[in-house]
Amino acid sequence: MLELRNVTKTFNLTGNKEDLRTALDHINLQIESGEFVTIIGSNGSGKSTTVNVITGSVKPDSGQVLLNNVDITKLDEHQRASYFGHVFQDPMLGTSGDMSVLENLEIAYRRGRKHSPFLWGFRKSHKQIFINELKRFDLGLEDRLNQKVGVMSGGQRQALTLLMATIRNKPTHRTMKKDYIRFSEKDHDVAKKEFEDFYNPALAEFKKEFRAILFDRTLKHKEKRAKLIEANRLFSQKVSKFDLTKQILLLDEHTAALDPKTAKKVLELTDKIVKENGMTTLMITHNMKDALTYGNRLIMFHGGHIILDVRGEEKQKLTIEDLLEKFNTAGDLPPDSAILSK
Amino acid sequence: MPDIVNVIFNILTSGLPCCLLAIGVFLTFRLLDFADMSAEGSFLLGAALTGSCIYNGMNPFLATLLGILVGIACGILTGILNRVLKIPKLLSGIITLTASMSIAMLIMGITRPDQIFATQVPISLAAGQQTIYSVFYPWNEWNKIVEAAVMAVVVLAVILVIYYFFGTEYGMAIRATGMNEKMARSQGINTNISTITCIAISNGLIGLAGALYVQDALSVSTVSATGYLVIGLASILMGEAIFGKRSFKNWLISVALGAIFYFTIITIAIRLGLPTELKSLLYAFLIATALCIPLFKDLFKKHIIPFFIKLFTKKGESESC
Repeated sequence: MLELRNVTKTFNLTGNKEDLRTALDHINLQIESGEFVTIIGSNGSGKSTTVNVITGSVKPDSGQVLLNNVDITKLDEHQRASYFGHVFQDPMLGTSGDMSVLENLEIAYRRGRKHSPFLWGFRKSHKQIFINELKRFDLGLEDRLNQKVGVMSGGQRQALTLLMATIRNKPTHRTMKKDYIRFSEKDHDVAKKEFEDFYNPALAEFKKEFRAILFDRTLKHKEKRAKLIEANRLFSQKVSKFDLTKQILLLDEHTAALDPKTAKKVLELTDKIVKENGMTTLMITHNMKDALTYGNRLIMFHGGHIILDVRGEEKQKLTIEDLLEKFNTAGDLPPDSAILSK
Repeated sequence: MPDIVNVIFNILTSGLPCCLLAIGVFLTFRLLDFADMSAEGSFLLGAALTGSCIYNGMNPFLATLLGILVGIACGILTGILNRVLKIPKLLSGIITLTASMSIAMLIMGITRPDQIFATQVPISLAAGQQTIYSVFYPWNEWNKIVEAAVMAVVVLAVILVIYYFFGTEYGMAIRATGMNEKMARSQGINTNISTITCIAISNGLIGLAGALYVQDALSVSTVSATGYLVIGLASILMGEAIFGKRSFKNWLISVALGAIFYFTIITIAIRLGLPTELKSLLYAFLIATALCIPLFKDLFKKHIIPFFIKLFTKKGESESC
């Protein structure tokens, strides 16, 4: 569960007092896990700032960001990167243009883990996973793993960014322990002991089983491999109850820079992925039709406030006319400077 | 030895240390997009520290290691100035460069018991001071060849290690940081640390280049060890222009070859026997010509070859008629 508590953020880019602009004004927002929230609002109303406050690239002036009831306001962007997948408006921002598709995916797959300076960055086993994932996307990228991302079109780059935001390796012992201690709402030592009491015997058992299969001479190579993979799967299933983190997908107008046809395709892909993985999602959009079609909750921002928050059946009854009326009755539009400075 | 062999080995012995320099500058200038002015400072410091240590009778390998370490220290300083104290990239390099001048003179002053500062250090093999090359000297005539061989081994080892490192998990993270910092941070990479690491590695290589240079030239002074940043940049640009930058491996080797190419040009310019005053002009002309090679290639492919083909086919047609 993600929660914003009394978050306020004021930007002052020029240093003049009259240019002070309040992007978020005491925002309170609760997002339950599994919700697909669409966010709309005029330019400069605070939508993007909300997402940036959640990812940590913008620090709020006051207020807190809570994930699973734990305050994460003080964590840096890279420290909380493993909890969020972020897709930017600009297709150039989400991927590294001078690196190949494979390299980009390897980096994304390793999100939240330690980067070893000694281990080779490419793994054969990962490559197969990436190919399978890319096949689901149906972009024809699975044959072009070694191509540089810079030569691809905006739509392909954005789809790749979407995959990079959702793909993530299983947590390691270290990250699982860290997250358990952070999110279990128990004392540091209690949580640590509890985790180790469960994890270490399970790991020992798994190792024993692993060794037994590995040195079993009666098995053929292929059977051995299948059995090892199965054992690994069972083990990760067993310890998965200690994996308290769930990925949250943050989409910041991710189809705004694409042509209508590509935008539709990327949006459908998004919907498919979100439904398949049951991810908690926040999607900012300027397209009111999309905001109504997708998701099960709708939030409208205006001038740093939330002026509309509907969910479930109530949302399904909403029409574009209702939204437009809400826009018009919301009061004055923000001054031009606020629009231009975005 | 015949003259031409002598010339070739002169090119190699002055060019190979600059391969390391060029790779070092490449790591910051190209991979990190960080115009690192402190490269010149770490070259001078690496040369000065290694020279002073050897002058005082230290083991040359240890002295070379110290040269690398002082380069790394320079790089970390620049990185911290930029990432922690938020000083602009260019300025933080200049600050390190300025400081390193005084520190180099202070280090070189160690060799003179009566002075605190010194502007130069001589190494004399006759007095029993050893360099990493003289350890392997068999007899006088082959000294240059041994020198070039030792340098080549070091350069090859460095290229292999750098190639491996930038293919590891962390190396990949560093490359991502340089190309798209926002993406790197959103993928959980601590970009401050990866930037500082890359600058440190780069300056460590440049320090090693300085150490190799001083043991070849057998003396270092604050004057002779300046201007190497420009050589590094020129090598990178020439290497890219001539040998291409298709993949990381190709790019790395191009940059190293660029340094050798640069020194070939310089040696040719010297060999032409022009008056000293005109040499700089000739350097400039030759470098500009070398940088235009891709343009000439393009021109050749698009216009000159089709022109001749056209000429040829027309002739053939008229003959057949």
